[in-house]
Amino acid sequence: MKIFPENVSTYGQEIDNLFWMTFGFVMVAFVISLFVLFYPLVKNHHSKVKKATYFTGESKKHFRWITIALVILAMSDFIILFAEHDTWERIENIPTGNDLHVGITGRQWNWIFTYPGPDGKINTADDVVIDEQNSELHIPVNKNVIFELRAKEVLHSLFIVNTRLKQDCIPGRMNTRWVNITKEGTYDISCAEICGVMHSKMRNFLVVESQEKFDQYVKTLYEKNAPATSSSNNR
Amino acid sequence: MSDTLHKKSFFRKYLFSTDHKVIGMQYTITGLFMAAVGGFLAYVFRYNLAYPGDHIPLFGELGAQQYNSFVTCHGMIMVFWVAMPILLAGFGNFLIPTMIGTDDMAFPILNMMSFWIFLLSTIVLLASFFVPGGAFGGGWTMYPPLSAGGYTNPNPDFFKAFFSGASLMILAVALEFVAMLMGGINFLVTTINKRTKGMTPFRIPLVVWFINIATIIFMFSVGPLVAGAVMLLFDITVGTGFYDPARGGDPVLFQHLFWFFGHPEVYVLLLPAVGAIGEILSVFSRKPLFAYKTIIYLALLSAILSVVVWAHHQFVAGIDPRMATFFSVGTIIISIPFAGIFLSYMATLWGGSIRFTVPMMWALGFIGTFLVGGLTGLFLGSNAFDIYAHDTYFVVAHFHYTLFPVVFFGFFAAFYFWFPKFVGKNLNPALGKIHFWCTTVFFNGTFFLLFFNGLGGQHRRINDFSLFSNVVKEPYITFEKIATISAICLILSQFIFLYNFVTSAVRGKKAVKNPWDANTIEWVADSPPPHGNFNPYPEVFRGPYDYSLPGEESDFIPQNVPHTNENIPVLKVKLSVS
Repeated sequence: MKIFPENVSTYGQEIDNLFWMTFGFVMVAFVISLFVLFYPLVKNHHSKVKKATYFTGESKKHFRWITIALVILAMSDFIILFAEHDTWERIENIPTGNDLHVGITGRQWNWIFTYPGPDGKINTADDVVIDEQNSELHIPVNKNVIFELRAKEVLHSLFIVNTRLKQDCIPGRMNTRWVNITKEGTYDISCAEICGVMHSKMRNFLVVESQEKFDQYVKTLYEKNAPATSSSNNR
Repeated sequence: MSDTLHKKSFFRKYLFSTDHKVIGMQYTITGLFMAAVGGFLAYVFRYNLAYPGDHIPLFGELGAQQYNSFVTCHGMIMVFWVAMPILLAGFGNFLIPTMIGTDDMAFPILNMMSFWIFLLSTIVLLASFFVPGGAFGGGWTMYPPLSAGGYTNPNPDFFKAFFSGASLMILAVALEFVAMLMGGINFLVTTINKRTKGMTPFRIPLVVWFINIATIIFMFSVGPLVAGAVMLLFDITVGTGFYDPARGGDPVLFQHLFWFFGHPEVYVLLLPAVGAIGEILSVFSRKPLFAYKTIIYLALLSAILSVVVWAHHQFVAGIDPRMATFFSVGTIIISIPFAGIFLSYMATLWGGSIRFTVPMMWALGFIGTFLVGGLTGLFLGSNAFDIYAHDTYFVVAHFHYTLFPVVFFGFFAAFYFWFPKFVGKNLNPALGKIHFWCTTVFFNGTFFLLFFNGLGGQHRRINDFSLFSNVVKEPYITFEKIATISAICLILSQFIFLYNFVTSAVRGKKAVKNPWDANTIEWVADSPPPHGNFNPYPEVFRGPYDYSLPGEESDFIPQNVPHTNENIPVLKVKLSVS
C-alpha cells in the first residue's frame, strides 16, 4: 500500500521526503519511549521488587538521562526545522518570471477559473471566466503556473492532493501560490475549509496537458467567450 | 465541623450546595452527560462516513447540513462541555481543598454560581439544536464569514439572528467562560490563601500545581477570544462588520483571536490530567515522583511557550511566511518541556515496585496513547508538511490521540483512583480492567487508521467522499468502516463504566480511609469527607511523595506525619496509619 497518493508537482516529493525524515526521528523516539515505559513494568512488578528504590530525581545527576534525551530531541527538532524551512521557502516564494497567471476564486460551491484574455494579462476586462460545477482548469505541463487565489463570500481552501498544495482563500484578500506539474492528466481540486452545506460537493478538475493542447484550449475559449474581440492569441 | 452543625435540606445539600465536593460532582455528572451527547453525535456521523446515505440505527438519515452541525457540535461539546467541566472544574473542585487541607473554596457562593452559569450555558447550547435551521454547522472554530452567514444581510433582524444556531453557540461559549473564570479565581485564591499549616508551595501535590497553572493559562488567554466572540455576535445580530472585508474588516483577525485562546486551551485541558497521572504513577510505583520540582518548572515554561504557538493553526491561511517560521519554531520547541515531563514520569517507574491497579493501568495507557499524539505533532509542527496535512484526517487523528487520552484516560485514571475517597465506596476492579482494555483497543481502532486516510489526502468535514477519486478506493473505504465499528464498540464499552459507577455507588463495599496507601492529605480525611473535610485540620510536615524512604518500615509516610527529629529528615518511625 502506498502511503501518499501519486505526486505530480516539482515540490511535492520534498514534502513527502520531509514526512519520511520526520517519521524516522519519530519512530526512533517512539521505540525508545516504549522501551523506557514497558521495561520497568516487566522488571519492577511488585511481585519481584518488594521495596522501591528511593530517589527523588531532583539532582542534576539523577536528571542527566533526561537532559541528554532533551538535548537530542532539541537537535532533532532543529534538523527538522532546517529541512522543512527550505521546502517552505520554495513553496512560499512565488517565481518572478514571465509565467502564466490564472485566477482561482472559491465560491459556494465551486471553483471559478479566470484566464488572462487575449491581451495576455490577468485582471483586465477581457479575462475569460469559467464559473460552473465540475468545470476544468487547464494548465500546461512542466511550466510554472501562478494561481491568484480569492474567495467570494466565505473562506475556502484550494487543495490539489496530487500536487500537495493547499492554500486558504480569503474574502477581501489575494493569496498567490504556484505549481509546476510534471505529468499530464486530470486531478481533483477540492476545498479543504468548511464552506457550508455543499462543502462535500465542491470539486473541480485540474487538467494538465501539453503546451500545444493548452494553446488550442485557450484559443477555443476566446472564440467561445469573446466573439467581439479579435481571436488572435498571443500566448 | 461535624455534619450535625450543618443540617441542610436535601435541596440545599445536593442542588444549591456551596460544598466544593457537591459542586465538583455536579460538574462531573454534567460533563459525563454531555460526553454521552457528544458521543452520540460522533456515532451518527461516523456511521454516515462508513456507510454514506444509509439509514442510521437510532437516528435516521443524516443530511449534509445536519452532518456539518453534528461535527461542529461534537467538537464544541467535547472541548468546552466535557473536557473543561471534568478536568478543570471537576478536578479542581474535588482536589484543591482536600489536597491542600482546607474545608472549602475561598468563595463558596461564587463557586455555586459558577456551576449554575455553566448549567445555563449547557442549556443554551442544547437549545441551539431546536432553533430554526438547527445547530451551528460551520466548524467548531466558528470562522467568519461562514459563521456570520457570509455577510449576505448587513441589516439582520435582531431576534431572528439571535435565535440562530451560530449566535446561541457563541452565547453558550461566552457563558461557559464566565463560569470557568469564576471557578478559576476560586482555585487560585484558595490555593494561595487557604493552605493548611505547613503546606508550603513545594509540599503542594503536583496535580494542584498543574490545575493552578492551567487556570492561569486560561485566564491569560481567554480575553482575546471573548472579545472576538462578542464582535462576531455583533456581526451576526446587529450587523456590524468586524470580520467583513467589504466594510473594512478582516476574517483572519478572528482566526488569530480564536487560536490565541484555542491553542493554550489545549494545555489548559492537558495539565490537570497530566497532574493527576503523576500522582497515580508515584503512588503505584511506591516511589517519589521523579524530579517533582523540575516538572513544575517545565510546566511553567510550557505555559509561557503555549502563547507563542497559536498561528500553527493558520499556516495555510495566508499569513506572512516569516511569521509562520516563528510559530513553527515555537511549536516544535514546546515539545521539549513536555518531553521532559513525560520522561520524568517514565523515570518514576524505574526502580519502583509497580502495582497494576485499575488507576495505574489508565495512567500507563495515557502515557502510551498520548505518546502517539505528541509525536505526530512533530509532523504538523513543521509548516511545510502542514501545507499538505492541514485539514486532513491526519490532523483529526492527531488531535484525537492527544485529547482523547487527556480527557478520558486522564478522567478515568482519576475516577478509579479517587472514587473510594469521594464516594466512599469501592469500585469493582475486574470491571475496571475490562473497561480499560476495551477502551484502549477500540480507541486505537477508531483513530489509528485515520492517519493513513489523512496521508492519502482525505480532507475533513466531508459527509460523502464519492466525488474524490483519491480517497474513494481501497484501503481507505475499509479503514473508514473499521474506524466506525471501533467507534461504536468504544461507545458501548462505556456502559461497563456506567454500570460499575452506578452499582458501586449504590451497593459497593464501604471504602477505607486510605485504600491505596497514598501520602497526600486528602487520604487523611474520612471516606467520603464530611462537610468541612477535616476534623481537625491536618498539619503538614513533609512533601507529598515520601514513598519507600530508606530505613523506614512502612513504604509510605503521609504528609501529616511529623519527622521525629527535625534535624534528620529520615529516621526510623513506626507508623500507625489507618
